[in-house]
Amino acid sequence: MKTVRLLAGNDWRLMARSRVAQLALLMLLALSIVAAVTAVAHRDDSNALRARFQQQADRAFDGQPARHPHRMVHYGHFVFRPLPALAGFDPGVDGFTGNTIFLEGHRQNSANFGDVRQSSLLARFGQLTPAFVLQALAPLVLIFVGFGLIANERERGTLRLLRVHGRSAAEVLGGKLLALGGIAAVLLTPALAALIWLVASARAEPLAAGLLALGYIGYLALWVLGIVIVSALVRSARGALIALLGLWTLTTILVPRIGPDIALRLEPQLTRLETDIAIQRDLQRLGDSHNPDDPHFAAFKARILAQYGVSRVEDLPLNYRGLVALEGERLTASLFDRYATAQFAQQRRQGTIATRLGLLSPAVAIRSLSMALAGTDLEGHRRFLQQAEAYRYGIVQRLNRLQAETVTYVDDGNRNRDPEAARRVRIDPRHWQEVPDFTYRPASLAERLAAAAPGAGILLVWLGLAAAAAVAAIRRLEETV
Amino acid sequence: MGPGVIGLWRHELRLFLRQPMALPLLLLVVLLSAGSVWAGLAEVAHQREVIARIQPQQAADVAAVAASAAADGDPGNAAYYTHHVTWDPPSDLAFIALGQRDVAPFVLRVRALALEGQINESETYNAELALPGRFDWAFVLTYLAPLFAIALLHDLVASEREAGRLALLGAMARSRRGLWARRALLRSGLLFAALTLPLIVGGLIANSGWALLGVIGLAAAYLAFWTLACLAAAWLRLGSVSAAAALAAVWLIVTLVLPGLALVAINAAIPVRQGVELTLAQREAVHGGWDKPKPATMAAFFRAEPAWRNTAPVRGGFHWKWYYAFQHLGDLSVAEPVRAYRAGLERRDALTRQVGYVLPPVGLQLALHRLARTDLQAQLAYQDRIRAYHAQLRRFYYGYLFTDRPFQAADFARAPRWPEPPPQP
Repeated sequence: MKTVRLLAGNDWRLMARSRVAQLALLMLLALSIVAAVTAVAHRDDSNALRARFQQQADRAFDGQPARHPHRMVHYGHFVFRPLPALAGFDPGVDGFTGNTIFLEGHRQNSANFGDVRQSSLLARFGQLTPAFVLQALAPLVLIFVGFGLIANERERGTLRLLRVHGRSAAEVLGGKLLALGGIAAVLLTPALAALIWLVASARAEPLAAGLLALGYIGYLALWVLGIVIVSALVRSARGALIALLGLWTLTTILVPRIGPDIALRLEPQLTRLETDIAIQRDLQRLGDSHNPDDPHFAAFKARILAQYGVSRVEDLPLNYRGLVALEGERLTASLFDRYATAQFAQQRRQGTIATRLGLLSPAVAIRSLSMALAGTDLEGHRRFLQQAEAYRYGIVQRLNRLQAETVTYVDDGNRNRDPEAARRVRIDPRHWQEVPDFTYRPASLAERLAAAAPGAGILLVWLGLAAAAAVAAIRRLEETV
Repeated sequence: MGPGVIGLWRHELRLFLRQPMALPLLLLVVLLSAGSVWAGLAEVAHQREVIARIQPQQAADVAAVAASAAADGDPGNAAYYTHHVTWDPPSDLAFIALGQRDVAPFVLRVRALALEGQINESETYNAELALPGRFDWAFVLTYLAPLFAIALLHDLVASEREAGRLALLGAMARSRRGLWARRALLRSGLLFAALTLPLIVGGLIANSGWALLGVIGLAAAYLAFWTLACLAAAWLRLGSVSAAAALAAVWLIVTLVLPGLALVAINAAIPVRQGVELTLAQREAVHGGWDKPKPATMAAFFRAEPAWRNTAPVRGGFHWKWYYAFQHLGDLSVAEPVRAYRAGLERRDALTRQVGYVLPPVGLQLALHRLARTDLQAQLAYQDRIRAYHAQLRRFYYGYLFTDRPFQAADFARAPRWPEPPPQP
């Protein structure tokens, strides 16, 4: 072990003298710091802004004057998706999904105003965040610093010298791993500091932050292993550099882009417009409340009349219009749920295809692990959509029930003709204030851990393969030197 | 007698192809370029197919509205329940750069209600798949081509020096400069051909026309930049290893690092949260319409739409005329924030263009997406067309509402249609 440390110390002294290594390291450290500071600030600002908008929307809803409850169904409500604390480290898909939805009766609106549509094409170049720096840029700096670690010694003949002096191949490799691992540790520091800051200032869960750090340590360890192995196996330093650059391009730039294309080709998704039309079509089949002869609503009416033992809707103790609104919303919402479930299932299938291709690329695996632990993966957005829809349904049905219970059928029918009826159908605004505010429930730690498991598994497989390759590389070094 | 000019080139080609990495690298470029062209063509065909296949679905939807919700002949019901379809077909060059068309809708339905609540609707897409960006030809050219250029050109001179042949070569060549120019031109020319041949085939399939020449010109200029960068490394007498490392570092900085920093700076300099603000404001304005006195609402509406000034006044508790009047007034009330929001987006775009003058990859992406009509400008132009169409739709329904003409089954077919023909898939 002492020998390994000694060898590594020697490499560090060499790197400290190399201008290229210094420059690459300093540049990446500066970049990491800039990325960490801007990502944390961006997360704090966005989250504060969304919280302010949410308060504004809540106040506006509660502050509505006395109204017919159905007016409130159309006045609707806005909900905003808060950003998890660790989004300051890895914002994930946040910029690519809308973060606000307008909730109203009979309709399911989309989440709007995602950053990507509001930014220029630059957004597609990749966002400078601590996660991006560690996933894409840090491996490249490690390549620049480490490609020649063994190959250079071989070219200069010093490798043979080391072996002649009784250093085993394992010791040589160990020294190089320690040397490059030390550099990787330096590269990790700003990101780790950002994680600690998020735990301290934004109350990110320490376990999630710790596992995130562990994931990136594993990912960079994989690159350290890969670089030293390639440097040991490839004959020339130049060959090692080219091979490593090719490997980096393939795993970090190419595969992450090709995966989605294949997934979309295999599982093409319906446009929103087609889903809207399909829902309308199914709704017509289920029951058309506009059609006086509609069998579903005719049966509904008969059932209600029988339930209350009356023969005319005017004699019901409840406002029949409100009951129809309740029934109509129930039908529509069941269709929204059915289509949303199918769409989520399809997106999960697409995700599975892309993750399987991630077997080819540790960068895809670490990205999925990182977003899952940070709570900024697509699953987080899905949770928001589902909770928003549940909240929408809750409010709308509550208002429909108010229409059924507090507004009489006769007044409801005469409200456009009779000013007195119009006054009576406007119910007390305390009813709006009683509607609970929307609170987003983020994924629990256990759910996030489960979501991160596939990425972690793939990384472990890669680490196992790399360790096996390291053993093979040691054997090659023993034979050839 | 030395060899002729053609003989010289043929000799250099033979020398180059004898290198173990040369041919596999070039074949890989052809493969990647062809793959990206194929993926782009498939995506464009898919988008055309979507636009074509929604037509019958839309017709059935309107027929259902005509038979049910709006069967009573009330133009207010017809306008309320009928959605009108708009689409933005991909250009003949869209396959090279798919741009924002995966995250912004290219088909959108609107109703004659207030538009601002409808026009910012987003498309359903898998954000995790959109995150890394699409594999299109613009990506291959912008990101991958420079790396291949570096692989082929970084040791142009250094490899000869390191093999001890440099002095000999210098003595044998008629012109040293001519020799290196020939070699650099040969390697980058082959790379250029490997990149553009699949593109040209794709352009012929997609019928892209002369605009393709612009794309090819851009590719040539971009490769020239990277070739010159590699020659600069040779001029600085960098060894092959340092040259490769230095060039890869330059690539990293200009394609990933600086664009990332520029995005942070631009988005911080020009916040555009007005998007949310104007949506909140517009909803207040539209719903506030219910509580305002009807004569004041109608007077304000007639100032905006004087054509209907002398029509029958609104009486009673509810009238569709009044409803559509305050819908439109809701839009008008946020005209200023809408303008400001759009100006913010355009400012961001303009600043990005300025970044593009300095950073070749950014400039190239912008130019390609402009040629392909898949950038923010194209998106805004589509929104403008939707606005114009929406105005037509409103006035079409006003023609029934304000003259108290019943809206009959045959009238659904008289509604203005989206001006562009749907593409043939």
